[in-house]
Amino acid sequence: MSAARARLNPIGEIVDHKEIVVCAGSGGVGKTTTAAAIALQAALDGKKVAVLTIDPAKRLASSLGLKELTNEPSKVSKRKFTSAGLEMKGELWALMLDTKTTFDEVVTRYAPSPEQAERILENRFYRNISSTLSGTQEYMAMEKLYELHADGAYDIIVIDTPPTRNALDFLDAPRRLTDFFESRVLRWFLMPYMKAGGGIFRVANVAATTFLRVVKRIIGGDVLQDTAEFFSNLEGMYDGFKERAREVSALLQSDATSFVIVTSPGEDSVMEATFFAARLNEAGLPFGALIVNRVHPKLGDGVDVKPRQLTKLEKQGDQGQLLAKLIDNEEAFMRVVRLEEKNLNALARKIPKHRWVRVPYLEQEAVDFAGLSLIADKLFEA
Amino acid sequence: MHVDEFLDPKILIVSGKGGVGKTTVAAALALVAARHGRKVCMAEIDRKGTLPKLFGGGEVTYEPRELSPGVWGLNIIPEDALAEYLRVQYHMSRISRVFRSTHFVDYITTAAPGLKDILVLGKIWYLEQDRDHGGGAHGFDTIIVDAPAAGHMATFLKAPQGLADAVRLGPVRRQSEWLNDMLTDPKRSRVHLVSLAEEIPASETLETSEALDKELGISQGAVFANAVYSRLLMDEEADEFERIAADGKIDELCDVAKASGINLDDDDLGALHGYARFLKARRNIQSQHLRKLSRGVTQPVMELPFLFSAGLALPDIETLADVIEEQMETL
Repeated sequence: MSAARARLNPIGEIVDHKEIVVCAGSGGVGKTTTAAAIALQAALDGKKVAVLTIDPAKRLASSLGLKELTNEPSKVSKRKFTSAGLEMKGELWALMLDTKTTFDEVVTRYAPSPEQAERILENRFYRNISSTLSGTQEYMAMEKLYELHADGAYDIIVIDTPPTRNALDFLDAPRRLTDFFESRVLRWFLMPYMKAGGGIFRVANVAATTFLRVVKRIIGGDVLQDTAEFFSNLEGMYDGFKERAREVSALLQSDATSFVIVTSPGEDSVMEATFFAARLNEAGLPFGALIVNRVHPKLGDGVDVKPRQLTKLEKQGDQGQLLAKLIDNEEAFMRVVRLEEKNLNALARKIPKHRWVRVPYLEQEAVDFAGLSLIADKLFEA
Repeated sequence: MHVDEFLDPKILIVSGKGGVGKTTVAAALALVAARHGRKVCMAEIDRKGTLPKLFGGGEVTYEPRELSPGVWGLNIIPEDALAEYLRVQYHMSRISRVFRSTHFVDYITTAAPGLKDILVLGKIWYLEQDRDHGGGAHGFDTIIVDAPAAGHMATFLKAPQGLADAVRLGPVRRQSEWLNDMLTDPKRSRVHLVSLAEEIPASETLETSEALDKELGISQGAVFANAVYSRLLMDEEADEFERIAADGKIDELCDVAKASGINLDDDDLGALHGYARFLKARRNIQSQHLRKLSRGVTQPVMELPFLFSAGLALPDIETLADVIEEQMETL
């Protein structure tokens, strides 16, 4: 089945040949569900699969029959498959990114000494980073992905991307975060607080002092102290961070990886998808497939009826009225279908159609394991 | 419910999960308020241009601009809000220029989490109080905040309380208390949640609503269930059609059509049948979630129609505004 499928379906091809699948797209298009469905099918095919989700989706855990998802992979029980009438030849593992824990591990790995790691982990500024600094979640998602891959325990890893307003943020995250840690401007401002460098309070730094006075009034002196300490402790770790960011980049650009863009046929998400495809290209990242979710089904070519005829029909008794309503309903849906086609045609000019997979609106929702497997069927259909 | 009651208080915060049409609903609400003679300000938070697209072009910046009669828009950018704050509070306008070229706001907002939200809420407070900081007072009657997506909303609205807890004394403590008062006073602020009648958004809406109620103590207006398929066809009518087909009496229907000059071939009949089924199936899913929403929240649930024309431009927003107005009367 695999070989035949590979020639026909871009998702099937990816699952057969790649080690990493990254699902990306704007909010609300079904990224998490898609990632889970791809992982499910890969496991059915006999692979050992890990699905890494970023979204705190409780529902995903329960539909996989897991109490909760943690930062370490948990195995989906074989019984879950059997009771859904599915024969699973591989293994399915699932985990959810815990940004804080992952960051702690990174710090511990790169700190020159356990004491220095300890000082950073206890620092208040550091503790705020994981929850508030933009880009941290994206950076750690990439870090976790790298670890899972380096571990070598899985044939394939499927990951969804953070629900950022801008679907592209995670591409820049490692670089942005390294820049942040290395900023000279910040060090200049924090100089009066930095112990490293002999604590020399330079007269030339008047602007910084004035400025600090104001900041201190806004956020308090101890906060500034924490910040300065954090950056002092980080000295000597930059090279490690940068090296890792380079390795992550190289992995994402390699043949082992494939990016899957998820979209709906709505104008906004189509625009986002187009933009995203262009960015992948610019960044030298391998695009694999486009998944168009929630497409209204196209049934027929549209009934040819003039308004005048419809008015006449409405006067033809019960049957006439029923028919008029049916036609009204059909015309309304055909308007949506045409609108979606227009949006998708624009997308087809940017992303060739042989890389597309369309998943129509189903007559039921994918809320449980059986639902996921239904989505998987649609995704892998030729 | 009286219109004024529905459109009060002055600050209306609109929130919901990504992809549910939050901005569209906020814009429709703005049109309704404007139709009732209010001067409305729509506040986007730190992003690039959904508002201008809905209202036909141009840029929306930190300085409010009239987008359509009676509806003004601004984009609250934390850097600008900080600059305004420093200028007004500390008369520091020069140093604030440095922020633009550096990660400065990122640093201090990391150092003191929630500060970005405080800056944004501070600007809303300035608008509410109608302070004139050089640009002239605007005299807005209604401020509609297109708030961060539901996942981040709790953090956003909790920020003043957090800061008040962290800073014991001084002006910042006092200011964060002002913001908290503004949010928790039902006569000043209210949250409208936007959802879809689907599993994931509906569950998330229920969670958010409960958190607003129990943890944040912020008053709630309506839950808007967006994109609900209109009943162009009732279930019974779809069933009736199935029955006619099953009884082999489709030809009779075709004859009725022919009498009005309409020729229906097999493809056409298939399409009529297919879309009738589709509507019925999707409506049933939606009804189930609408019931779940109604049972789960104490505030009214307002259904907004799926727009079959969905180009999402001003005419569509007008349509949604019409529906809101109609339903407002019946609440």
